[in-house]
Amino acid sequence: MSKEEIKNNQQDQNTWHQITLENTDRRGALKKMTAGLIAGVGIASTSCSVFSEDHEKEASQMSWDEFFKKNYKIMSDDERIQTVQRLESLYEKKTGNTINISHQGPMEDVLFGYAFNISKCQGYMDCVNACIEENNQDRDSQMQYIRIHQIEKGHGFNFEKAEDNYYNEVPANNHFYIGTQCFHCENPPCVSVCPTEATWKEKDGIVVVDYDWCIGCRYCSASCPYDGRRFNWGQPHVPEEEVNKNQHYLGNRLRKKGVMEKCTFCIQRSRSGENPACVDACPTGARKFGNLLDPKSEIRWILENKKVFRLKEDLGTEPKFWYYMD
Amino acid sequence: MNSFKLIASLVLFTGLVSCSSNHEKEHQYHGNFEKIKALEVDSISYPVNSLDLIGQTTLVEVKTEEVTFYIPERKSSIKSFKCSECHTKSIPELKASNLTGKRAHWNIELNHATPDVLMCNSCHPTQNLDNLKSNLNADIDFNQSYKACAQCHSSEYKDWLGGAHGKRVKGWVNPRISQTCVGCHNPHSPKFETRLPSRLNTKKIEERR
Repeated sequence: MSKEEIKNNQQDQNTWHQITLENTDRRGALKKMTAGLIAGVGIASTSCSVFSEDHEKEASQMSWDEFFKKNYKIMSDDERIQTVQRLESLYEKKTGNTINISHQGPMEDVLFGYAFNISKCQGYMDCVNACIEENNQDRDSQMQYIRIHQIEKGHGFNFEKAEDNYYNEVPANNHFYIGTQCFHCENPPCVSVCPTEATWKEKDGIVVVDYDWCIGCRYCSASCPYDGRRFNWGQPHVPEEEVNKNQHYLGNRLRKKGVMEKCTFCIQRSRSGENPACVDACPTGARKFGNLLDPKSEIRWILENKKVFRLKEDLGTEPKFWYYMD
Repeated sequence: MNSFKLIASLVLFTGLVSCSSNHEKEHQYHGNFEKIKALEVDSISYPVNSLDLIGQTTLVEVKTEEVTFYIPERKSSIKSFKCSECHTKSIPELKASNLTGKRAHWNIELNHATPDVLMCNSCHPTQNLDNLKSNLNADIDFNQSYKACAQCHSSEYKDWLGGAHGKRVKGWVNPRISQTCVGCHNPHSPKFETRLPSRLNTKKIEERR
């Protein structure tokens, strides 16, 4: 390579650096590079067109801002409010109905814990029903966060012998029932493996997913020892009249194709002081929920007075989901 | 010179290690219990209150040495309370008076323990139907019906007081508002019925075929 060529090459590289490294943010650079292209074609045709309505221009601008927003984890409060407002108005423009998306953060001095009484669960599956309705799970693929396993007595906790899709009168003779869902581990392997940091553990112990940062690689699902995660293989569908309009950004807001989701202890309810939907729906009181940092809470009484255990404790994942018996 | 470099890099390395381990210590605990014990707070005040969540329900206080919480008031939800408004005579007098016509409470079937252990008058005193009664004939207010249940179901009662048995009325925040025994169990037939599950996942059957 001649001196001239090297010089030209360096100049090219400098130009490239100016594009990519000025404001070093990856998203920013990407935005700049694509801006020219898209501005000339898509956005220009709507936002500059004399034929486009104002609301179309506005919606187009909002979709643009949504596409280039940050990971929720590193957003400022203002940015969180903005994205929530954008999502609310985009939904309203699309369906004509209003939704309320919360961005409520964790309460001070709260670490959520859950306890499940295997002596009390009768396998009615009212919890599963309530969970689907509360969390806007895809109706087409019949997604369910909770699995209730029917196991014949004498086999112990042998999940290979368990039936989690039974349809017989319950409780069936000589069988017991045990429910599993996301256990919100203190050392969650799903969080460690996520390449885009689209899933993380909040201060109140809830493991959440930013559906707009999930790239659908399903590493988290593979790493979860408890079958706690669910993937949207297709475009999720919830009939408009069945959509729960009380939503949270990290919880039950409507998902899209190719993203992971899971139980969030009904973050939209639990952060407002309510119980998760499964806890409220259980007719036998087998499901217990509360603040582990409150020594007077019921969950703490259970941990300190009942014989409790967790699944696969030896893995060191430290689930915040305990089982106990009467 | 080389030994100087070696010492300098050693110092730097140990510094880095101690720095990172200090950083880790702030966030890492050996298990949930260590974390819970380190961060627990004796009296927490939450920004929300369960009384606001349940609205206008009247509550009754349950107070023992260890625990204080609330249960929904019962008497106002019993149809035709007070009982004495119809029951002007005691049950033995009523039986002796040869009444004809339809029986009241025809729909109540006692499916609770066995007749040699439990009859209507084990809980309902024949002389004063506005209250329940204990085994030793002390009055028990309908709002505190759990006291009648606790006489036999002592382990369930202990678990209920602690919070392992029963369920919350609304929310996990303070103050604790729990269902009383009859909030979930029919006292005349307390066992939960056998029934079909409320859902069958047909996709799962297809996928696993």
